[in-house]
Amino acid sequence: MTATRDWRAFAQQYGLLFSFLVLCVALSLVSDRFLNPDNLLNILRQSTINGIIAVGMMMVILTRGIDLSVGSILALSTIMAADMLQQGWNAYAAAGFCLLVGGVLGLLNGFLVSRFAIPPFIATLGMMTFARGLALSYSEGQPITGLAADFRQWGTGFLGPIPLPIVVAAVIFLLGYVLLNHTPLGRYIFALGDNERAAFFTGLPTKNILLFVYVLSGALAALAGVILIGRLNSAQPTAGLGYEFDAIAAVVIGGTSFDGGEGTIFGTLIGVLIIAVLSNGLNLLDVPSPFQDVAKGAVIALALLIYRALR
Amino acid sequence: MLKMTTDLPLLSVRNITKAFGAVQALQGISFDIAPGEVVALVGDNGAGKSTLVKIISGLYKASSGEFALRGQTCHFETPADALKAGIETVYQDLALIDQLDVADNVYLGREVLRGSGFLGRLFGVLNRATMRRETAAALSQLHIKIPAPTMPVRMMSGGQRLAVAIGRAVTWGRELLILDEPTAALGVEETEQVLRMIEELRQKQRMTFMIISHNMQDVYRVADKIVILRQGRHVATLRKTETTLEEIVAYITGAKQKRVER
Repeated sequence: MTATRDWRAFAQQYGLLFSFLVLCVALSLVSDRFLNPDNLLNILRQSTINGIIAVGMMMVILTRGIDLSVGSILALSTIMAADMLQQGWNAYAAAGFCLLVGGVLGLLNGFLVSRFAIPPFIATLGMMTFARGLALSYSEGQPITGLAADFRQWGTGFLGPIPLPIVVAAVIFLLGYVLLNHTPLGRYIFALGDNERAAFFTGLPTKNILLFVYVLSGALAALAGVILIGRLNSAQPTAGLGYEFDAIAAVVIGGTSFDGGEGTIFGTLIGVLIIAVLSNGLNLLDVPSPFQDVAKGAVIALALLIYRALR
Repeated sequence: MLKMTTDLPLLSVRNITKAFGAVQALQGISFDIAPGEVVALVGDNGAGKSTLVKIISGLYKASSGEFALRGQTCHFETPADALKAGIETVYQDLALIDQLDVADNVYLGREVLRGSGFLGRLFGVLNRATMRRETAAALSQLHIKIPAPTMPVRMMSGGQRLAVAIGRAVTWGRELLILDEPTAALGVEETEQVLRMIEELRQKQRMTFMIISHNMQDVYRVADKIVILRQGRHVATLRKTETTLEEIVAYITGAKQKRVER
């Protein structure tokens, strides 16, 4: 953010960057494949999906909420978009439709949370099951494979030398930064998360701010889905299982507080990269998959302990 | 016509009641505030002062009765409506956002934007430089000393925070400033500063105040008129020039019974 931060936030932010660099140096020492440009590009490419979801998740967590439904929203929106592609829609229309479905599902989350005061955990847990069930029944449990070539560009294309998903993710992070730090709406999201009552007293439209963050989270999950099915050339009703975990982990490692109102988009970016580098490193070291989860869980716990200690 | 508008009370509260379930928090409150007047709303805990303030500032809706601003009956659905009408309230718990800096707090909900795009308020880009400059200017005009408009509010003292909250209210309040227990959490010197600020604003800018306070010394010093509530009822309206501290306290405690005059 800006000069408004105190030394502690400063220490938190640079401590995070420092940890990330230490992790990279350590991996480059134990594996000669880590610093290979192809591997680094691969890490970036793999982190785009979690990164895009994490930007939406961060906004939700800033308001003291949580969105457990991102994986299921991704599955339902991509299954429906893939079906439209099969029916001959063009790549832009199908991608737009995917975002629309994600946004509408997010709107439902937002309505439950803002208008009916249902705790975000419960509302999005319900949506998680609801959307997953719809995805499975809509597709009758079958994946839709073989997507139009121009749609696959979303996942496999390049803009100059840079893979398109990385460009998309970079744009989302940039927009997220501008939104949070340079627009009134960004101020309102921080204000609402810090002190909802004070925000309401100040005349802010608190319900609509909440609505917005859930719509954004749903739409960004769907956008991540567009990239995912473009790359896999297949939409699957079981896609996105556990994605909420990676997104929440990235946001939390990135220093966004569950108490709301505190966090930076830069921190979230580093959190996403730490998760991606960690997975990559564990793969390079041939660590068995179950143990990778143990390692990830341990890192999150460690990050939270450090933040508590810093407070 | 001119005479009519000058005679019009700034705020006119007419027979307001408020019930929370079976509890009658307010039972028919009526009083007027003239433009430029400082009115104190006093009473013991549970007398209904805060409830009345919350109705006027758009947080609660009255069960019956109404209030009017310069003769126009107000129908506030949310605090935003009251703010739009020019009524600013500084709450007991201040209602500042700790994580934001002074300028962001002063301009929260009324941000200055660079240019004016068609996506308007929500997606315009903040003009931080202007907001900081204006904040510094506005606060220094009120003799409010803060280290910098870029300082997060959480790093400030209680007195500084209150000063910022009042500064915000003064900056935006066109009609009426409501201060809910402004001096309750302050030290002697900070209290003195706040009282002086009220007196000065009233003299120089003819600003109208409604002040809720437990501190009878403060009330007696700055108020022109004292409205006394007791157990949800309006027991007296007294001009300061025609009463004493002892009489006010007697009404608050119930030692003296109802006497209402305008």
